[in-house]
Amino acid sequence: MSRILITGIGAFSAIGDNVAANRQALISGQSGIRTLSNFPSRYAGSLPCGEITHSTDELKQSSGVDDPGVTRTSLIALQALREAIADAGLTPEQLRSSDTALINASTVGGMCLTDELYHDANNDGLAGSPFLSSYDNASVTLFLAQHLRIGGIQNTINTACSSSANAILYGARLLRHGFARRVIVGGADSLAKFTINGFKALHILSPAPCTPFDAQRTGLNLGEAGAYLVLEREEDCHDKKRYAHCAGYGNSNDSYHPSSISDEGEGPFLCMQRALEAAQLAAGDIDAINAHGTATENNDETESRAMIRHFGTPPPFLSTKAYTGHTLGAAGALEAVFSILQLQYQESYPALRFNEPIVSTGLIPSASYRSLPVTHIMSNSFGFGGNCSSLIFSAV
Amino acid sequence: MYIHYHNCIFPQQTALPGGLVTLLPADGNQLKAIEPSYDGVPPGLLRRMGKAVRMGTGTALPLLKDLRPDGIIIGTANGGMEDCIRFLNQIIDYDEGMLTPGNFVQSTPNAIAGQLGLMTRNQCYNITHVHRGLSFEQALLDAAMLSMEHPHRNYLVGAVDEIADYNYNIDLLGGWYKKHPQENKDLYEANSPGSIAGEGAVMLVVNGQPEEAVARLRAIRSWHGTNPEDARTNIEAFLQQYTDGNIPLLITGENGDNRLLPYYETCEKLLPGSAVGRFKHMSGEYPTAAGIALWLTCRLFEGEALPHHFYKKGKENTAGPVLIYNTYKGEQHSLILLSKK
Repeated sequence: MSRILITGIGAFSAIGDNVAANRQALISGQSGIRTLSNFPSRYAGSLPCGEITHSTDELKQSSGVDDPGVTRTSLIALQALREAIADAGLTPEQLRSSDTALINASTVGGMCLTDELYHDANNDGLAGSPFLSSYDNASVTLFLAQHLRIGGIQNTINTACSSSANAILYGARLLRHGFARRVIVGGADSLAKFTINGFKALHILSPAPCTPFDAQRTGLNLGEAGAYLVLEREEDCHDKKRYAHCAGYGNSNDSYHPSSISDEGEGPFLCMQRALEAAQLAAGDIDAINAHGTATENNDETESRAMIRHFGTPPPFLSTKAYTGHTLGAAGALEAVFSILQLQYQESYPALRFNEPIVSTGLIPSASYRSLPVTHIMSNSFGFGGNCSSLIFSAV
Repeated sequence: MYIHYHNCIFPQQTALPGGLVTLLPADGNQLKAIEPSYDGVPPGLLRRMGKAVRMGTGTALPLLKDLRPDGIIIGTANGGMEDCIRFLNQIIDYDEGMLTPGNFVQSTPNAIAGQLGLMTRNQCYNITHVHRGLSFEQALLDAAMLSMEHPHRNYLVGAVDEIADYNYNIDLLGGWYKKHPQENKDLYEANSPGSIAGEGAVMLVVNGQPEEAVARLRAIRSWHGTNPEDARTNIEAFLQQYTDGNIPLLITGENGDNRLLPYYETCEKLLPGSAVGRFKHMSGEYPTAAGIALWLTCRLFEGEALPHHFYKKGKENTAGPVLIYNTYKGEQHSLILLSKK
């Protein structure tokens, strides 16, 4: 079976407008969690987020999009997607071809327009807004495919916070089955009143910048981002640049509670196990882990337990959500990009704001920037609805 | 991929054979699902479920009594739209005040697959496809790939969407529903833009084993774009690749919207010898309605005569392949080819 190679990456988050800027911030330990500046919410001053500082109008201008129905989520996605496509050197002809697929993930879609949606959905006598077909998750995918004229299979996946990990997994399977020769996979989400208030109502938003895996952690920060990867079969890659290969993936359901993970991390344990099996690797082969690490009380402890069950003493790990916030539907792809950077540059990034380990598990994330030999790296994503996914990327 | 078991909740009677003969009417241009009593679902849990989750789990659970699938794969454009907008309304009406998280958790489209995993203690592959009018087709493709990877394993595949006042309003404003009162029995006579709203849930158990299967999924193709020529090219290529041109029955997604009629007529003209059936006067229009056509095909293959009001032209009387062509808003298109064996 031909290997699935990553031939292009793109990322746009609170810590950088492109992959290089994101890596610089990770190396220098520079967090993107800050007070909201261009987002109208009563929590703008009190709940820090991983906000992309460019306004929606600026994004429209910089991307040259004047479609009145375009949303912030789509604009963030477009910038990251363009970077990945250019990086992989995909030509317009290749994009148009019916064997180029786009598998996108989003959980917010156009619901970043919370107020516009309110008026349209309640049909309160005003004329419809320009956003009538822009609210759902698929609207982002449809916009991207139309704008960049992508000719093959399109799909949108929503498994909450593991959405874009599943987009990667699904894209890899399309390649294996021959339904596409190249797939662009990833996800995007923007900050929305909808999610801020949702997570606030669940009492899992931190009033301070988050502290993943710390005993005193007080919850997560939301973030916004877009991140995309181009996957191609090795036999089609010839002399192309190749970052890594997608060695394994696993998907499981925790089957415990709609919005929290079981005490022993059964779902996280199972998806990691399935990813290891698919990659034909033993736990001891994994050199580094990009943890889901939302910094909620529930996640970090249960994820730690699941890691201990597999690894005993886990390899160097950290959660980059301390840098970017939890970017929901983009997180799986964004952190896949970060994992691939670790592989490419053989390095590990500093965990931010970590002071003391969780008493019951005692795990300590990577402390500082350093070089680290990495052949296999695992990236985890867990979501509401019990949706857990784990990906393994390996050096080529 | 082979379909072994199926179940459906939609705006017509599905429990008894022959239940489809009497066409139940739409109310206010909406066809709402006839929901069963959901025996076996704890009442407390049932009360907290939104309609999409209720219909989805209620359709799936009877199939899972003695069967543990190795994957739960749901296609839904919107999931729990009603919960979603209820939570949205709270945000605006209470100016982001103290809110209850119940609607928020239920509003995520993956709540149906998640709830099914939870209720059946199923820790296997679990995914939700939300690609609007092709959500179900992508779920089918996912299941077809899984069935090739592991032919002996069973997978649950579903199509679920609900009418909520809110998505009704949004699509009404967008011009996708008729502005005048429209009876569903005369849906295809209207010659005006827009359709009537519908909802439903279809659940299938599939695997890679032909023995005792109800139907075989032979091929599936989807494409995007409003160009009718693209439709012709895609349908022609599909017919050439997967059929010998003999399709006794074509089921189309004709929905009374005269703007979409040219797509379906293109397909009918390419299959002049085929009987033609329609179903959206029974289900109404919604993004995963193609699931209903697939479910009707399963009933047909099991020997049930489909009602007279289903047929636009001719009448299927052999066990030959069935082709389903559906378009959602003229932008998303799919072809699904099924045969009895």
